[in-house]
Amino acid sequence: MSSSPRSRSSSRSTALFALAVGAAIIGLSLLLLYSGINVADEGRRVLDGLYPPIAVTSEGAQIRDLYTIIFLIAVAIFIVVEGLIIWTVIRYRRKPGDDSLPPQTHGNNIAELVWTVVPTVLVIFMFVVSWQTLNAVDTSSATAQTKIRAVAGQFQWQFEYLAADGTTVLYTELLPLVSQGGGMVVPAGRTVQLQLYVPPNDVIHAFYVPQFLFKRDVVPGRQTAFDFTVNESDAGQTFRGQCAELCGTGHSIMLFEVKALTAPEFDVWLDDKVAKANATPAPPPSGGVGEIVDISALGVKFEQTEVSAKADAPFQIAFANNDPGTPHNVAIHKDSPTGEEVFQGEVFNGVAEKTYDVPALPAGAYAFVCTVHPTMTGTLKVQ
Amino acid sequence: MATTTLTPTGIRSRSSVFAWITTTDHKKIGIMYVINSFIFFFIGGLLALGVRAELAEPGLQFVTAQTYNELFTMHATFMIFLFVIPMLVGFGNYIVPLQIGAPDMAFPRINALSLWMLPLAGILLLMGFVTGGTAAAGWTSYAPLTEDRVLAASGTGQDLWIVAIVLIGTSSILGAINFLVTMFKMRAPGMTLFRMPIMVWTVLVTSVLVLMATPVITSALIMLFIDRNYGGAFFDPSRGGDAILYQNIFWFYSHPAVYVMILPAMGMVSEILPVFSRKPLFGYKAFIFATAAIGALGFSVWAHHMFTTGAVYLPFFSIMTFLIAVPTGVKMFNWVFTMWRGQLMLKTPLLFAIGFLTMFLIGGINGAFSASVPVDFALHDTYWVVAHLHYVLFGGSVFGIMGGFYYWFPKMTGRMMNETIGKAQFVIMFIGFNLTFFPMHELGLAGMPRRIADYASTAGWNDLNVLATIGGFTIAASMLLFVWNVFMSLRSGPIAGDDPWEGNTLEWATSSPPPAYNFDHLPEIRSERPVFDLRHGYPAEH
Repeated sequence: MSSSPRSRSSSRSTALFALAVGAAIIGLSLLLLYSGINVADEGRRVLDGLYPPIAVTSEGAQIRDLYTIIFLIAVAIFIVVEGLIIWTVIRYRRKPGDDSLPPQTHGNNIAELVWTVVPTVLVIFMFVVSWQTLNAVDTSSATAQTKIRAVAGQFQWQFEYLAADGTTVLYTELLPLVSQGGGMVVPAGRTVQLQLYVPPNDVIHAFYVPQFLFKRDVVPGRQTAFDFTVNESDAGQTFRGQCAELCGTGHSIMLFEVKALTAPEFDVWLDDKVAKANATPAPPPSGGVGEIVDISALGVKFEQTEVSAKADAPFQIAFANNDPGTPHNVAIHKDSPTGEEVFQGEVFNGVAEKTYDVPALPAGAYAFVCTVHPTMTGTLKVQ
Repeated sequence: MATTTLTPTGIRSRSSVFAWITTTDHKKIGIMYVINSFIFFFIGGLLALGVRAELAEPGLQFVTAQTYNELFTMHATFMIFLFVIPMLVGFGNYIVPLQIGAPDMAFPRINALSLWMLPLAGILLLMGFVTGGTAAAGWTSYAPLTEDRVLAASGTGQDLWIVAIVLIGTSSILGAINFLVTMFKMRAPGMTLFRMPIMVWTVLVTSVLVLMATPVITSALIMLFIDRNYGGAFFDPSRGGDAILYQNIFWFYSHPAVYVMILPAMGMVSEILPVFSRKPLFGYKAFIFATAAIGALGFSVWAHHMFTTGAVYLPFFSIMTFLIAVPTGVKMFNWVFTMWRGQLMLKTPLLFAIGFLTMFLIGGINGAFSASVPVDFALHDTYWVVAHLHYVLFGGSVFGIMGGFYYWFPKMTGRMMNETIGKAQFVIMFIGFNLTFFPMHELGLAGMPRRIADYASTAGWNDLNVLATIGGFTIAASMLLFVWNVFMSLRSGPIAGDDPWEGNTLEWATSSPPPAYNFDHLPEIRSERPVFDLRHGYPAEH
């Protein structure tokens, strides 16, 4: 019969296959043993990794609870169906030499009814619990005590604090990090209404803080707002945020920080900032007639990669920001772009020019960077 | 003397290449579709390796942020528009006329036109690399980033992209009409609609989707082109346009396009499982209705890509998205119960089909998370979505395509592929795939947005990105095995014979490869498995 050579070759290749899988499993186990990885710990880490971060807002906590419900249903479906597939494949492998025709089942109406109705009930359940959570977390009330406006632009965020009548009382600096005086500072325990805005001639961005478990697009020509309340217990913490909608070359550097203060601390912080902003700015120091260094920015890049200045004498930087609507500045850091900051120029929007007075610097290598866009760098030689 | 210059040999030596270029034979056209698709699959794969290499560690090591944006934009563009969609059209081209007992497609010349538009579109897209940069705004090309903007950094490449996609869309529309007319007008006697193989049914539903959806994206792209080049303002909010309008039109096509990319792969799997289980497909009619239901529901879920815009009615699109899981679940159970109590012959095509089932299941389950609007607020535009779409389009479509390729290669070439290399390829690809894309679930949950060229070393994403990069290169290794297998099998694979797998459908009732116009003689068609009936006797009553 022609069937015998075929079945022999198929049993040989099945054996080869089993051998390959076995070798892979043994190799992997040896690798794990050798590298000293604790399988139980790793398993736990993977499982933790399949959960979103602990939410720091009350809305985020509700989304995380919803995630748990859907995750449990998903795991149950995964185990049942994958188990069924694997068991079927192992159990009903063709035995070598067995050429009999299995029963030709065309279907089973009851079974098909069951696996139509049960999933329908399951997905409707998931929809209903999702809808309930949605109504609780996607709100925007006019009564929020604190109103902040996030203004997005290529490629930075600015946060404005609004008075009850909607007028702006304070702009924060156009800087990503709270430690630099930028970012968003919020009162823990109070409901904050965040209004999102982007100028109509900019592009779409998205406000995203992973620990809020929330994001919302910032669309030119549209105004949206949402409420959030940072847990009182999370006061004092700083959370990382960034743009989540592709917005061009600088998408990955469009970062910001959110710092939660206790409500009384926040009030002091805001009053202090407002008072400082209202005070007349001190007149700029009248710089000497030092040397002038030209630096310009275009396309979120400095056009000069290397400039030089004289050591131990004050000098001026004539900075031309040629990016329309985009804020830049020049800051000088010792040795490398991440080194100690020795000078920070004022941030301003393009297209414009400003002259900075830089104090005398000792000879050495420095880097100049844009504080708003840390990827914009160049070197400054002081000799 | 003049007659000697017209010797037959002279004509013949020129004609072998010429014959392929000028052919209207659906089988040759189908094979050229497949080859063209694989070429762009490898180009798209190289671009993906560039993305993975750059993301392996924080900092920009290999490319600039702008080039990075070009890499992932062109990766997705090639994979979607010039690999998955045309690959499935190519298999449809080869298989559909054979499976319904037809001599060719209804419009053979239009068929050739559809094919030859694709390499042209591919060249237009590649030209972006030498004209100052390709499109770099993602395959979605959202306005107003793609509007004429100083910092959008999208030049001629974006215009070339628009023209190429319109060209590919036109090719798809012509192909869809061709398939529908072929199926409704050219079926062999006895081949009723409910005796058509599932592969044919999935191509039918896919063609309807293409016909209804593609003109819509074409209109969006033409409007975008006018905005960019002739001072239009359809999508420019600073001049009275609407940025959300583009997303609505774009996804009205591009969500059904997901089903265009998965349904024929489901069809392939539905051909492989019964043959290698030696049982009929469990619930043949239920499977057809489920396919039609997915196609119909597919038109009512587009805005689930836009949940975070705050500009869509969330509950409607959420419930429709959840509901589409029901017909998909029906199919999953039909496949599993096709194997149940069967005689599984664990050859390479079946392994890839099982790979499809196990991986597509994950792509379906993680889709349910995004259907839940509040959970989507956390996951949207993070690496979770990248994981989800690759579990559907790689774990689903690519595993299905590989299974189909191993299954029909003997029919197309007359030679068998090497089983040992095939199994090795499957195992390596399966491991590499999961190593690449499973960690992306965790990256997304940990807050890593997609489409970022760089990330802070303090963000905690380093290890998972290294894993994904190792996985990406593992997939590439499996593809080298695949190419080697194809070339070795073409040269010296064992002769296949007409019906090496004991198939069920009509393509196995003719020679391998089939002659021009396919059949000298057709078996009687009394069920959806005419060749099975021929081998084992006709059912007494049906």
